[in-house]
Amino acid sequence: MKKGKGIMTATIGLICFVLSYVMFMQFKTVEETNITQIENMREKELSEKLANWKEKFEETDLKLQQTNEKLQEYKQKRESNQEASELLNAELIQAQAIAGLTDVKGDGIIITYTEDENSELGKIEDRHLIELVNELRLAGAEAISINDQRITNMSDIINVMIDGKEFILVNRKRMTSPYIIKAIGDQKYLESALTTKTIGFATRYPNAIVEKKNNIIINKYNGSIKIKYAKDVVKEEK
Amino acid sequence: MKIRKTQVAITLGVMCFVLVFGIRIQLKTTESLVTTAGTYRENGLRDEVLRWKEQYDRAYEQLENAEEQLEKERQVSISSDDSSVEKQQELKRINTYLGLTDVQGEGIIITLRDNTNSILGIADDIVHDGDLRTIVNELKNNGVEAISINGQRIVPSTAITCAGTVIQVNNEIVGSPFVIKAIGDQNMFNNITRPGGFVYSLIEDYGLNVKVDRSDEIKIDKYNGVLTDKYIQTVK
Repeated sequence: MKKGKGIMTATIGLICFVLSYVMFMQFKTVEETNITQIENMREKELSEKLANWKEKFEETDLKLQQTNEKLQEYKQKRESNQEASELLNAELIQAQAIAGLTDVKGDGIIITYTEDENSELGKIEDRHLIELVNELRLAGAEAISINDQRITNMSDIINVMIDGKEFILVNRKRMTSPYIIKAIGDQKYLESALTTKTIGFATRYPNAIVEKKNNIIINKYNGSIKIKYAKDVVKEEK
Repeated sequence: MKIRKTQVAITLGVMCFVLVFGIRIQLKTTESLVTTAGTYRENGLRDEVLRWKEQYDRAYEQLENAEEQLEKERQVSISSDDSSVEKQQELKRINTYLGLTDVQGEGIIITLRDNTNSILGIADDIVHDGDLRTIVNELKNNGVEAISINGQRIVPSTAITCAGTVIQVNNEIVGSPFVIKAIGDQNMFNNITRPGGFVYSLIEDYGLNVKVDRSDEIKIDKYNGVLTDKYIQTVK
């Protein structure tokens, strides 16, 4: 009898172990399924990612074609220094335009953003302008200015107190309301990005008025670019 | 003895029943989860995303090669012309300014972490896109020459946004810890960490884990995308 009892206990123990193990496995599966379900919910996000990569590819592919063309031209014109320098000129002009060092024109939008000191929503601080610039960049703006101060890669927008009054400085220049923000890029993108329901900047801040405009001229940055600390990393020859 | 045996049998039976029941519930849940998920379309999309990413990677690699060759070709073509040499240096400088070259130099590194020890788990003690924008703006105010966030170089087209719970820089997802590298005069350290400043208030008022370090040698990678000029024309 004693021996039988031992065997029985062992059997029960074993069965319990196996059953618990199976249950545990099931739990794990359910957890994993939950994760895939979350991933499934991200269908919208996936489509966005897809559009994003497509766009990046197209941009890169275009740039590749342009670079290859330039390369061909340089090779063809290697004999003549005159023409090679013309090519270099064209490249320099392109880079300057993107960097904000030349006046540019194109189609885009103009935002008139007027301060209303009597309402909480109507106050304008540096962070509002930073956010607006950020939204314009997300919508693909290629050139931006605030009250004719060109926004470059290193432009800063800050609040300061001068004689007890608050001001916003853009590129260290004092600004006052109304703020006229010009942006050149895809008009439709730019406009719809700012006026999207609930999240668009002009939807959240009704004192920002968005207008489409053709042939906008955006002035160049009238400072100079300084590179003192950043040294180009020299590639080692393979 | 007989009673004991029955007791054991009943206990066993109940245990088995409970366990089997548990397994059945699990099975059922799993089934319903699998059927509701439209996995087919999802997987198709995911494959396509990967395919385009691959295509992009390939194109980008080719572009890098082409640009390298172009650089050499330029060198050869203009080597005998002084004004061209000058122009080429200017082009290089602008490209550095735009974030299109790898750079190194002195500067500071700011590391921000979500507060994971928080009891409340409120929105105040995680890093927001607005925090990153403010810090980047402050760095620019301190005259830095190159900035990156988790390897994403800040270029003229850079947007720092938040979609749901994730932060994106240059349309790429970045997460905590956020490492912001900036090349410029190291003395900006005092200004960035000044009492009452933004970084200070993140630590003191919001309980964020923020670290600011000086460094003599920071390396910042170039932007791995393309800056477009489809819509702008130079005014002569």
